[in-house]
Amino acid sequence: MNRDEKLVSSELVAAVIEEAKDRNVEHAEAFFDREEELSIEVREGEVENLKIAQDAGLGVRVIQSGRLGYAYTTGLTRGDVVGTLEAALANARAASEDAYYTLPQPAKNYPELDIDDSSLGEVSLEEKIELARRIERSGRSFDQLVRITEQVSYEEVRFEIAIANTEGISLTSKGSFCGGVAAFVAGKDGDLQTGFSVDFVRKLKELDVEAIGKEAASKAVRMLGAQRLKTKRVPVIMDPYVVASFLGMMASALSAEAVQKGRSLFAGKVGERVASTEVNIADDGARPGGILSSPFDGEGVPTQRTVLVEGGVLQGFLHNSYTAAKDGVSSTGNAVRGSFQSPPQLGSTNFYLSAGKCKPGEIIRGTGEGFYLTEVMGMHTANPISGDFSLGAAGIWIHNGELTTPVRGMVIAGNILELLDRVDAVGSDLRFFASKGAPTIRVANLTVSGQ
Amino acid sequence: MIAKVDLEEVLQVAGRNGDFAEVFMERSTQTRVSMEAGKIERVISGRDQGAGIRVVRGENTAYGYTTDLTRDGLIKLAHQVAVGGQDDAQNSKLSTESGDMSNNVETAGKTGFEIGAGLKAKAEAQTEGGAVPGAAETPTPIVLQKRESLVSLPIEQRPDKVGIDRKVALVKEAEQAARSKDEQLIRQVSAGYADIIQQVTIANSEGVYVEDERVRSRLVVHVVASDGKVIQTGYDSAGGTKGFELFEEVKAADLGMRAAERALLMLKARRAPAGRMDVVISGEAGGTMIHEACGHGLEADLVQKNLSVYAGRKGEQVASELVTVIDDGTISGKYGSFRFDDEGNPAQRNVLIEKGILQKFMYDRITSQKDGVNPTGNARRETFRYRPIPRMSTTYLAPGEHSPEEIIRETDSGLFVRRMGGGQVNTTTGDFVFEVLEGYLIKDGKIDEPVRGATLTGNGPEVLQKIDRVGNDPGFTIGTCGKDGQGVPVSDAQPTIRIPDLVVGGILEDEGDN
Repeated sequence: MNRDEKLVSSELVAAVIEEAKDRNVEHAEAFFDREEELSIEVREGEVENLKIAQDAGLGVRVIQSGRLGYAYTTGLTRGDVVGTLEAALANARAASEDAYYTLPQPAKNYPELDIDDSSLGEVSLEEKIELARRIERSGRSFDQLVRITEQVSYEEVRFEIAIANTEGISLTSKGSFCGGVAAFVAGKDGDLQTGFSVDFVRKLKELDVEAIGKEAASKAVRMLGAQRLKTKRVPVIMDPYVVASFLGMMASALSAEAVQKGRSLFAGKVGERVASTEVNIADDGARPGGILSSPFDGEGVPTQRTVLVEGGVLQGFLHNSYTAAKDGVSSTGNAVRGSFQSPPQLGSTNFYLSAGKCKPGEIIRGTGEGFYLTEVMGMHTANPISGDFSLGAAGIWIHNGELTTPVRGMVIAGNILELLDRVDAVGSDLRFFASKGAPTIRVANLTVSGQ
Repeated sequence: MIAKVDLEEVLQVAGRNGDFAEVFMERSTQTRVSMEAGKIERVISGRDQGAGIRVVRGENTAYGYTTDLTRDGLIKLAHQVAVGGQDDAQNSKLSTESGDMSNNVETAGKTGFEIGAGLKAKAEAQTEGGAVPGAAETPTPIVLQKRESLVSLPIEQRPDKVGIDRKVALVKEAEQAARSKDEQLIRQVSAGYADIIQQVTIANSEGVYVEDERVRSRLVVHVVASDGKVIQTGYDSAGGTKGFELFEEVKAADLGMRAAERALLMLKARRAPAGRMDVVISGEAGGTMIHEACGHGLEADLVQKNLSVYAGRKGEQVASELVTVIDDGTISGKYGSFRFDDEGNPAQRNVLIEKGILQKFMYDRITSQKDGVNPTGNARRETFRYRPIPRMSTTYLAPGEHSPEEIIRETDSGLFVRRMGGGQVNTTTGDFVFEVLEGYLIKDGKIDEPVRGATLTGNGPEVLQKIDRVGNDPGFTIGTCGKDGQGVPVSDAQPTIRIPDLVVGGILEDEGDN
């Protein structure tokens, strides 16, 4: 054996399994991830920051005597394979035993997905720089009140993954995504307001850079002159971005892991109504065009569409191999990997609130007085276990069915279950912000705190 | 790691078209142990290594990184960053011409690579003038000279010398202590230990050469309590630029018990009222508010982009006279401390606001040059995967004269915050929001019943002007601060302070608990 021999992708993960079998390891799994990242930040038409990166690493998971161990490395030689496998085995010895640890068997079929855009390798760097410049130009020329470019960037990631385990799984996949980010500051009479927009897609040709710039600019301009209003209890209309932010909090509560560990507010409620009848929520790891779509999950299980809430009634939870074994069900293909530095976690993929029938404009027109919520601050402080949230809020006040005064510095507080229960209108404008998707919704009566 | 002489060559290659080139090499080992549902669930160890190369030219920065830490790997990356990501064939062609700077500039122009219009203009100007520095002669060799640090961050028990069993035992101790607080109401406890030994080598084209080792340890406990109707959580954490000796000073069991007590207390609490009220924030609450509401706005990159409410206000009264804000990366053992920042500048103590007057911003190299000042030792990055940007280290509001008891006594009614959670700030407007993890009503100058779900919102500069009491009891907390997608360890502190008339988010009094 040549310990310095460099290995990549399927060779590398196969080497781990080979070494594991030589050592009579009961169950072993190897995960390899290689990523190439490009990020171009422009300001005033110039490339302010350019980033090109190559990252690669190996993660090894073992189950020995019912105990789980994990180790990782950025070294990719035969010697690193052995060292990492031995570290994982040593870690397993320090962990607790659990009869439900398991690795999946190979599946017959995996969804066929078009997730790799080979054109990313053909389009030149100069053309990509121009895409970033176009985002900036479309935003800065949107209105003369747009004064400062806070951030404008074009970003792309191309990746290759390989998974193998002792049960016979041996899979590889290549993919890519690209997108743009824009944040502008608009100014008038000493008042400064920011606006933000982001869009990530699978195919470069689907990227509408002008739309990103315009959206961020228009959001900044429409907030100029925003004031703090008096505390009031009114219907709140949330734009898709705000709803998508709330979904992040729901996704963790809808995982079987949260249920099994007693930290889900949905525990024991399958078959019960947990939201208004307008609410439908699903996770779809095989969604065409979805940013987190992949033929298989982080353990090698085929991905699928899983309905979680239908007509307001809770249908079930997201599973990986471990939680599924514990509950005696099948994995929903929701083992997700952030990087090779962590074992697969149970998580959501393309997670969304389904579109309803109402046009967003009609929802606003049908609201006498209300708050059109376009920005929340501090979502990471919301408590996914209790469902309690209290967030900084900005948006536009609605009078007589029309958007009127911009408002900032308000607070909305409540509980996610109450919020879901009070949803009385769902828009037809489903939109994805990377992995979370949502339409406009209206929530009957929330306290909007101000002065 | 790579020899010094090889780094000199890497810098020479990377910097041939730039004003400044830098290599940041990192080798880190980490251990994480976590327990949940009564089991040691995760025992993870790993090695991470790589290098980032940065080339600055005018106002433009190119950055690249690789996990290939060989001399060849770095030279290849240096070529790529020097020409901004062109393909390998192009690189090898360029490398054969590396003796001739003017030729390189031209070649770069011809291949169409230009980091922005400004760079192109600059390249042309140089070519026309014929005065390209180093043209037609061998470029000045880079000679690296090692910098020594004056900051002492002693580590008594390196985590790699502590067996995994002791780390597992520590996590179990915290978990069991939390559970023992109330077998019935405490539904879930999770405890996590993590350590990192990060060895870095930083070298740049100005001859700076720094080697540093950062050792950090932390323990975090989360508790979920429920009475069947309401679910509440409690949290406590400890961390430092320390080894395993941290857990001689901070007992794991105490941490677990405090997290459990907080969850149980909040179970009994009713919801916080909404509205404007006087808020007293305890020294125990830590300095999250100073970090968010003030600190971020004093980072020079945001200031220079006009994204800070403090832009252009140096020398002005931006806060009440009671307010002195300091960022200090040199305090022994604190989670946000280091000997050198991630550009190799020595860590420093910087007085940012003194008696309400804005004195200084926090800088990295690029921003300090733009303002014509010295770097302040605030350039930080999460790992070699990121370029450095201005960041805080340990940020605190300097203690004042009042005792905390006195401050509460002098407050007729309002909210007392014993423990603060996370927060967020919009630096452009200064608007912020924070969650209150442990809060109480103040009635007639006394701490009264606990309340849950409160948040504090306001405007940073307004709040700093309004602070009318500053206590003598500073208390530190730890955190991971996120900015531009990079998380870095920080600590922050403040003594007990009073902010009159702050907006507290909660629920309207008349609607009850539905």
